[in-house]
Order: sequence, then C-alpha cells, then structure tokens
Amino acid sequence: MSAIEETLARIQRHRRQRQALAVLAVAGVLTIFWMGLQYLNFDLWELTDQLPTWYDWLAAFKTPNFQDFSLYSIENGLTGWSGLFDTIWYVITNPLAGFDMVMNSFTEGKETTLLGLSVVTVVIGVCGTILGFPFALLFGVLGSERVTPFPFNFLFRGVMSLIRAIPALVWILIYVPLAGISPVSAVLAVGTDTIGILGRLFTDELEEIEDGPIEAISSTGANRAQTVSFGMLSQVSTSFIAWTLYSLEINVRVAVSLGVVGAGGLGRYIQLKLSLLDYGPAAAGILMVVFIVLTVELTSSRLRARLRPGEEGGSSRSLLDAIRDLGDIRKWLGTKVERN
Amino acid sequence: MAAVSIRNVTKIYGSDTLALDDVSFEVEEGEFVVILGPSGAGKSTLLRVLNGLTPPTEGVVEMGGEPVTGKRDDVAMVFQLHYLVESMSAYRNALTGALGRTGWIRSLLTWYEDEDKRSALDALETVGLLDEAEQRAGSMSGGQKQRVGIARALVQNPTLLLADEPVSSLDPKAARDVMGYMKQAAEERNLTTIASLHQVNIAREFGDRFIGIRDGSVMFDGGPDELTMEMVDELYYGEQVGKGAPGEGAEEAQA
Repeated sequence: MSAIEETLARIQRHRRQRQALAVLAVAGVLTIFWMGLQYLNFDLWELTDQLPTWYDWLAAFKTPNFQDFSLYSIENGLTGWSGLFDTIWYVITNPLAGFDMVMNSFTEGKETTLLGLSVVTVVIGVCGTILGFPFALLFGVLGSERVTPFPFNFLFRGVMSLIRAIPALVWILIYVPLAGISPVSAVLAVGTDTIGILGRLFTDELEEIEDGPIEAISSTGANRAQTVSFGMLSQVSTSFIAWTLYSLEINVRVAVSLGVVGAGGLGRYIQLKLSLLDYGPAAAGILMVVFIVLTVELTSSRLRARLRPGEEGGSSRSLLDAIRDLGDIRKWLGTKVERN
Repeated sequence: MAAVSIRNVTKIYGSDTLALDDVSFEVEEGEFVVILGPSGAGKSTLLRVLNGLTPPTEGVVEMGGEPVTGKRDDVAMVFQLHYLVESMSAYRNALTGALGRTGWIRSLLTWYEDEDKRSALDALETVGLLDEAEQRAGSMSGGQKQRVGIARALVQNPTLLLADEPVSSLDPKAARDVMGYMKQAAEERNLTTIASLHQVNIAREFGDRFIGIRDGSVMFDGGPDELTMEMVDELYYGEQVGKGAPGEGAEEAQA
C-alpha cells in the first residue's frame, strides 16, 4: 500500500471516530433540551390552546392604535393610524403651531403621549450612559493588568464583575428606597450597569493593544502616567468611543425593559395597556420602541463604522469627521466608491 | 499557441491612478515566469488581472486562446500570507482546493470525492508534507504553511499557477525550500507558473524567464543570462543609480 493510501486510511479512521463523537454530542444536547423542557413543565397542548388569544394580540399590529401619539391626537380623539399620520400632516401644514404642539407633547405630555414617552426612554438611556462612562473609564483602565500591576487590578475587575452579576432590572430595585421606581432610579440603574459592561469592554480593549508603542513611549523617559496616556490610551481612544456608542444602543433597550417594571417611558405604557388587554395602543407602543431603537442603532452604527480604520477613507477617522459624514446620504446607503 | 497571452493591457484605478500601462507578453505552456519590480510597480495588479479578479481597463487577457472574463477555477493562486484556515488540518486546507468542483451540500457535509481526497494527499506529498497531513495548519512553520498553500492550489488542477510574492515573509532558507517545491510541482505537472518575487537572487535561481515591471510598464523580458546586475539596478532604482537616495524607487506609493 502506498504512503498516500495509508494516510488516507488513517485520516478516514480518525474521521469516523470524530463522527461517532459528534453523534453522541448531538444526542446529549437533545436529551438535555428535552429534560429541561420537562422540568419547566413545557406543554405543547397548553400552548396550542392559547393560540387564538395570541392571534388577537398579533392582529392588533395590523391596526395599531396611535390614539396617544401626541397631544394633538389626544385632543382631537384621533385613533388608529390616524393618530400618527394626522399628527404628522398637522405638523407639516401648520409648522409653527405644530412645532409648539410637538414641544408640548415632549414636556407636558411626557407621561401621556408616545412622543413624550419615547423621549423619556431615550433620555434614560443617554443619561445612564453619560453617568456610567467616567466610572467605566476609571474602572476599565485601572482593571487592565498593563496599568495596574497584578493582583491589584483584580480589585477593579472584581467590582466590575460584581456589577455585571446584577442585571439592570435588579439594580433598579436596589435603588427603589433612594428614588422610588421612577426615571431617576432608571438612570441610576442604567449608569451602574454601564460601569460593569462598558468597563469590561475597555479593559479587554486595553489588553489587546500592541506592546511596541508602549515600549517606545516609555523608552523616551516618559513617566508612568505619561506612558499610560500616550502609549496606551491614545491607541484605544477611537475604539473606546465606538464601544461607548455601542453601549448607548444597548442602554436604550435596557431603558425600555426598565419601563416595563414601572420606571416610566415606553415600557411602562406598553405594560399598562397590555394589562388592560388594550392591544391596539400596546401595539402602537411597541412600534414606537422599534422605531426609536432602530434610529439610535442606525445612527450609532454609522458613526462607529466611520470611526473604524481602513474603511472607505482608508485611514482612521475622527469623531468630528464621522459626525460630518452622517449628513451625506450616500454613505448611509453604503454607496461604494472604487478605491485607488 | 501560448498558454497565456496578455495584449495591450492597461489598468487605471479610480480616475487617474495608472497601475498597468500597455502591458503585452505571452507565456508558453510549462514556463516558469518570475515577475520582478519595486513595490507599487503593478505586480499585484498584473496577477489580479491574470486571474480575472480585476478587469483590465483596456486590453485582452487570453488563456488557451479564450478571453479571461472573470474568476476561473483553473487558475490557482498562492498568496503572500498563505491565507490558510489555521484551525483546520493541512489535509482539510488542501482539500478546499477541490471546492470549485464540489457541490455546496456535499462540501458542507465534507463528503469529498475519493479522487479529490487522493489528489489532496498527492499534492501534500509533492510539497513534502504527507506525514504532517493531519497537523493543524496554525501549528505549522511559515514555510510549511506556504507549502500547504501550494498544495491547495495544486488540488485545484489548475492550468495556470499564480503566486503573489509567495516567499516575502519567509527567511531565506524557508523561501528557497518553498520555491524549490513550487518549481518541482510545476515541472512534474508541466504547469505554467507566474510568480512575483522581491528577492532577485532567489528569482534567478528558479525562474526560466523574467519580466521586469516598473511604473506599470514592462521594462525587461528575458532569460537568466540577460538579467544582469545593471538591469536589476535600473529596474529598482531607475535612471538614478548612484545619484538618488537608495531605495527611492521602492518609496513610490502603493496603488
């Protein structure tokens, strides 16, 4: 038998062994899945019995009720899609009065109109991110082994792990005696959550930077703080901004879920309407969530894409360039320009 | 008939970056051609035009008398940075060369034809890696990885083998090994090969014929005897030999 045939036979023997293991692994996973469902009292028939009720709820999305979209729709008793479209039409045809009405919806109507509630949700996400950022920066940088010698960096890493161990939904409960269940405690919860998550991303980013520039900076006679700032932080500043924008996206979603437990904003509206089995307005609220989350995500991801080096511009971009590029519609559509 | 013929090819990137300027030459079947030239001279663009990845702005590329219009599976490529999937074994990496003729369902289930499996092992034997067939590509040395890259190209059963600076990131000994295996594989299979190289001494050792490119134009085309040191100096330093700063030719921006 030639060397090739021998090797082929050996490879195929090993392959059969791996296949047998793979079959065992799949069988194991399916067993765990099945036993887990049994443990959780999963009952397919119970679900099918509930299907008609579920269809009613889903059907509400065909005719969402934007009755509470703005002060205009509330005052004029507009319902259904009309609440949305007639408000928009009113603003277009009466720009001055319309602008006043929208501003009033944001202020007076911040607990009653979908416009105001959306702003509350976004503001919770934005303020939470801003509150958490400096602490995330501090703990994230000090948690890196490059900055703080082992084992002291674990002090900061430990704090961040502890914060991450508690979800934002539980953090808001911890802040209840301080600020009740309100947008204020929601901001505190989002901010705390941000320290754990964003700080960890900062630490990881710092662990991955190149050693060369650090060595070069310290060989110029720079002191420790100068080395950290010019050798390390300067390497990661754009990715820190990008991660912070990413954290903002997540925080807007977290703000929605905090609303569901009562902290205000769109989440609370949806929860209230659902508990009254008022499906139409609840569906309108969910559509608003989709709209604001997508808007925040699209803006932030476009900004982040501009910040990344090596794309289109060929070199790393500053935040200023990135913001300027947002005005260029072609770049939103990703129109490609042939590169030199 | 020439195996490869390239006539009056011009490539302009964007509106004004001239990468290739009216390039014409023919390569006979089984010839081992080495392309020389400073960085940014257009070597990579020439190879990309030859394998159909980049359409020329003007001119025609023909293989076996037929015009090349797009990517084709009978043109195989060896890359400077090997581009292996490092988590897969050398054998599985070599087998990916057969993907072009394997249906996608079969390939996802990794049901390759026995013929392809033998051809992968045969190619690994050609590059001297049969005993390492099951070794993870990521754990191999740079030279070994590049040899797996050559094996992958051979499994494609190409009529033309292209290599874009295949040994630039290797030390001189590994570079000679890799070029030796490539040359041997090309001779065994009477495979037309076009390789771009930076190292003139290695090129001289393995090439049958040399094409020198500077600023997108062919400056030199001939055998080893005609490739004199003066020729090489002119190719890399232009007319400024002895006058300009050394390496000035290489400073020109990469297109």
